[in-house]
Amino acid sequence: MLFRIRRGSVVHAAAIAAAMLMAVADARAFDESKYPDLKGQWDRTAQPRWADAKSAPLTPEYRAIFEENLKDQAAGGQGTDPTFTCVAPGMPRVMNMYAPFEIVVTPRTTHMLMDHIHDSRRIFTDGREWPKEMQPNFNGYSIGTWIDEDGDGRYDVLVVETRGLAGPRSYDSTGLPLHADNETVINERIYLDKADKNTLYDEITVKDHALTRPWTMMKKYVRKPAKQPVWQEAVCAENNPHVVIADEPYMLSADGLLMPAKKDQAPPDLKYFPQSRK
Amino acid sequence: MLSRCGFGSLLFAAAMVLSLNGAQAHDESKYPDWSGQWRRPPGVNNQWEPTKPRGQEGAPLTPEFQAIFEANLKDQAEGGQGTDPTYTCIPDGMPRAMNVIFPMEMIITPNTTYIHIEYLMMFRRIYTDGRPFPEDTDTAFMGYSIGKWVDTDGDGRFDQLQVETRFLKSPRAFDSSGIPLHPDGKTIVHERFYQDKDKPDVLHDEVTTIDNALTRPWTVTKHYNRVRNPIWVEAICSENNDHIKLGKDTYMRSADGLLMPAKKGQRPPDLKYFNAQDARK
Repeated sequence: MLFRIRRGSVVHAAAIAAAMLMAVADARAFDESKYPDLKGQWDRTAQPRWADAKSAPLTPEYRAIFEENLKDQAAGGQGTDPTFTCVAPGMPRVMNMYAPFEIVVTPRTTHMLMDHIHDSRRIFTDGREWPKEMQPNFNGYSIGTWIDEDGDGRYDVLVVETRGLAGPRSYDSTGLPLHADNETVINERIYLDKADKNTLYDEITVKDHALTRPWTMMKKYVRKPAKQPVWQEAVCAENNPHVVIADEPYMLSADGLLMPAKKDQAPPDLKYFPQSRK
Repeated sequence: MLSRCGFGSLLFAAAMVLSLNGAQAHDESKYPDWSGQWRRPPGVNNQWEPTKPRGQEGAPLTPEFQAIFEANLKDQAEGGQGTDPTYTCIPDGMPRAMNVIFPMEMIITPNTTYIHIEYLMMFRRIYTDGRPFPEDTDTAFMGYSIGKWVDTDGDGRFDQLQVETRFLKSPRAFDSSGIPLHPDGKTIVHERFYQDKDKPDVLHDEVTTIDNALTRPWTVTKHYNRVRNPIWVEAICSENNDHIKLGKDTYMRSADGLLMPAKKGQRPPDLKYFNAQDARK
C-alpha cells in the first residue's frame, strides 16, 4: 500500500501522523517503546556478596574496623553488619539483590521493587534538582536520567546518582563497612546486554570516606523466563532469631528464649525487674 | 490543508500511529490519574472503621472471636499486645494495610497495579492481566490480588479498580486494637477503589472482608487525601522497635536499651541457656 502514495502525500501523512501522535502524547500516552523492556522478574547471578573484601580500597582506619568486625563475627557476633535486626541494607548493598526483583519504568519514576527487608527504590527521572535538604534514608535519594547512547531514538542506559543516605550500612554480610558520616555518593549505569536482552548490568561506583578512591563494581542480573513470575513475600522480622539488648547481640532458641550468641556470653542486665527468676 | 491530502495519506498516518501504539504505548489516559502520595485524612488514626473510635468499631465478630477480642483488650490494658501481632514488625497484612499508617503510592500499569505503603515495606501487586487465581500458591500477609478495571460511567475511561484478595497468611488483626481475623487464613477481601467525583484529590477504597471470625461480610470505606509533590520518608519498624518477644512473653526496651517489664509485676525472662555463674548482679 505504501508504494501507491504519492511523494507529496507522504509528507502530508507524516505531518498528520505527527499531529496525531502529539495529541496522543498529550493524552498522557506513555510511549514504552522509547524505553528498554525491563519487564519481568530479575535475579542475581552470584552470591549476595559485594566483592572479595581483600580488593576493597578501604582507608587504614576502616580496614582496621573491618578486621575487628571479622574477629567479632568469628566469635559469634555480628561485627559491622547491621541488618541482623532487620534494618534495611540500604544502598549500595540492596543491589546485591537478596530476592528476585522487578523494575517498573514510568515516565517520571523508575521503581525497583525488591521483596526483601526494605529494599525497594524510587529513581526520579522527572528532571528534578537535588532537594536543598534531604531526610536521610537507607536507600538514599536517587535521581536518574535516561540516555540514548547509540542514537537509535530509544533510551538504553539509566544513569543514576544517589545521595542522602542513612546508616549504619555495610556492603554485605561480611561487614565491609561504609563510612559512618553517611556522605556516600553512588553513581550507577543500568543497561541491558546488547547481545542478550535477558541480561542486565548495573555498573556501580561508590564514593565514600571509608575508601581511598571511588570503587566500581559490576553487578549482573538475569531475567527469569516465566511470563507470570511467582513473587514470594519475604518478611525478615517473621522468624528472626537475633535480638539486641543494650547493644549486645543475643540469639533466640528454638523455644523462643534468650541464649548466648557467643561462647561464655553474659546474660543481659535485668535491673529493671524487681524480682529475679528462680 | 486536510482537503489537499489524499485518503491514502490519512490511512498511512493512521497506520503509523497504530503501529507506534502497538509498539508498547501505554495509554495512560484510559486510566485514572492516581499519581502522587495518598495519606489517611487528618483525625483518622489507625482504626479499621474510620467513622468510629478505635476498639469500639462494632466488628460483627462471632461469639468465639468476640471473646478472643475482649481477652485481648484486657491484655492490652495490662500492657500486653493482645491479638495485635505487628509489634514484632511483621506486616499488617490485608486488609489492615489499607489503614495506610504511612503514605501510599499507586503505580498503574496495564498488567499490574502496584500499591506501595511506606510502612513495614508493605507492598501489593494487583494483577489486572486477566489471569485467574492460581489453584495453589504460597500464602502472604498481603495475599494474592486480582483486579479488574471498570468504566462505570461509560465515558471510555476506567474509573474503578475492583480487587479480590485471597491466600492470606496469619496472624493478622484489623487494627492495633487487636480485632482478630480467623487464623484459618481463609479471608477473602473485596475492594472497590475509586476517585471522588467532585474531589480528584480524594480516593476511596470500599473494603469488604469475608472471614470466618465474622458473622457476615464487613464493609468499611477508607478515604485517602492526595499530596501532589510528595516527600517520601522511609519508615523502618525494626530500627527503633521497643518491643521484644521472648518465648510467649513480650517485654519492653528501656531508654538505655535494657529489658524491662511491659506489665506490672511481670517476671524477668527465663535465662536458662546462660551459665548460672555468668548471671549479672
